[in-house]
Amino acid sequence: MREEALHIEDLVKRYPTGVEALRAVSLSIKEGELFALLGPNGAGKSTLIHCTTGLAQPTSGKIEVFGHDAIGSYGKARQAVGLAPQELNLDWFLTVEETLDYHAGYFGMPKRERRERTKELLETFSLTEKRDERTRTLSGGMKRRLILARAMMHRPRLLILDEPTAGVDVELRLELWHYMQRINQEGTTILLTTHYLEEAEQLCDRIAFINDGQIVGEGSSAELAARYGVGNLEDAYLALVGRNELSRSKIEVAS
Amino acid sequence: MSAAQIRFATLWRREVNRFMKIKKQTLGAPLLETFLYISVFGAALGSRIKELHGIEYIVFVIPGLIMMALAINSFANNSSSILQQKFQGAIQDQLSSPASPLELLLAFTFGGFMRGLIVAGLTFIAASLLVDLPVDHVLVLIPSLFLVGFFFSQLGVLTGVRAEQFDDVAFVQTFVLTPLIFLGGVFYSATLLPQPFQTLTHFNPIYYMINLVRYGFVGFSEVSIPLSLLALTAATAALFAVNLRLFTRGYRLRA
Repeated sequence: MREEALHIEDLVKRYPTGVEALRAVSLSIKEGELFALLGPNGAGKSTLIHCTTGLAQPTSGKIEVFGHDAIGSYGKARQAVGLAPQELNLDWFLTVEETLDYHAGYFGMPKRERRERTKELLETFSLTEKRDERTRTLSGGMKRRLILARAMMHRPRLLILDEPTAGVDVELRLELWHYMQRINQEGTTILLTTHYLEEAEQLCDRIAFINDGQIVGEGSSAELAARYGVGNLEDAYLALVGRNELSRSKIEVAS
Repeated sequence: MSAAQIRFATLWRREVNRFMKIKKQTLGAPLLETFLYISVFGAALGSRIKELHGIEYIVFVIPGLIMMALAINSFANNSSSILQQKFQGAIQDQLSSPASPLELLLAFTFGGFMRGLIVAGLTFIAASLLVDLPVDHVLVLIPSLFLVGFFFSQLGVLTGVRAEQFDDVAFVQTFVLTPLIFLGGVFYSATLLPQPFQTLTHFNPIYYMINLVRYGFVGFSEVSIPLSLLALTAATAALFAVNLRLFTRGYRLRA
């Protein structure tokens, strides 16, 4: 039986303002899966990711990464996770190479290994020519690539990608899809959040819908469509957010 | 090196690298400032004042200038580094690593401490070339400098963590630290002040720090050395405990 890569149980996140961003969320992702988390803005996707990676403190509940506690003694859990956040959170003072090198250092990787891994990822993400440039001079697409490369630096077993293809051009989106599939086939478990339903459908084994801080559906694209009694994932999503009237099946095609 | 040692060294290296990249601002400007103080107070004012408590005026002033350079640079480095990284979101890279709150706090602390020591050290070297600066009590001087640097590094961390905008950092530096340092007797002896200012000076903690450093260099102090050392140690330890608690709770660092 496959190991559980991510185990979340009754996770609650309540902000001091009283807003409950996560309401008893439970989720299980098996090792080797490519799993998508879909939901409207403000549904709790990023909060769930932040709780898993230590950027937010859960109010209650349990999070385990490959069996290691991710909240209390989080050392081993964090070591196993790579995060590519939604925001382009790069340090403007650092060069591309330093960004990767420091990240790997934070995860305890020795110098020689850092150098080799940096070279490898700079090539993979076509950033070798930019290695000595400061991150603020990069284009949006290059920053996105660098963030993904940074998340991969310490060879995490679970890669969390928070809207990795938001705002990128078609070419880079396809490049990123290919890359995600490749590293997934090589054994990395991936948790992906996205607003592009075709991305989730094309890449992911399983999909979960999150809305208003709760997981409201989980399964394959076909299973989710069946659950909402509609023909496809997009209509299932529209049913979830209560906007069935927007279904493409209801758009009259101009003759 | 163990993974934990690599992690800590990288966190620290990142902080040092930040200020080394902008040397003109972080090292050059404070050195010029100190040089101007020495010129104005030493050459211009010193020609009229001659001596204070039997010590040549410029020699009386320089220990205070060294202490001021150490304090302001330790503080300014950490407060602006942390706020800047929070502002960019780049601090998430460290926060989502396996680093413990203690490791993060110490790495930020030592970043500013290093900058303070470099500026203070260069000021000392430059001053030694200009005047005959004695070092009378090295066993008081070294712990005093260490404690002053550590105290202001901690204060910088606290200010950076609490700050939400650059104005918050500027406020503390301009409206709290600078007046306290100037009124703490860097350029004069508190015994020369009329009442009630002479008594009020005794409520200024920086007055004791200046006296400690001055005693280390020239062997003159207006306050009890053991008591001042003890109070400074207690204040530094208390500030460190507060910061560690904030880092553990993730106050204004983690959502």
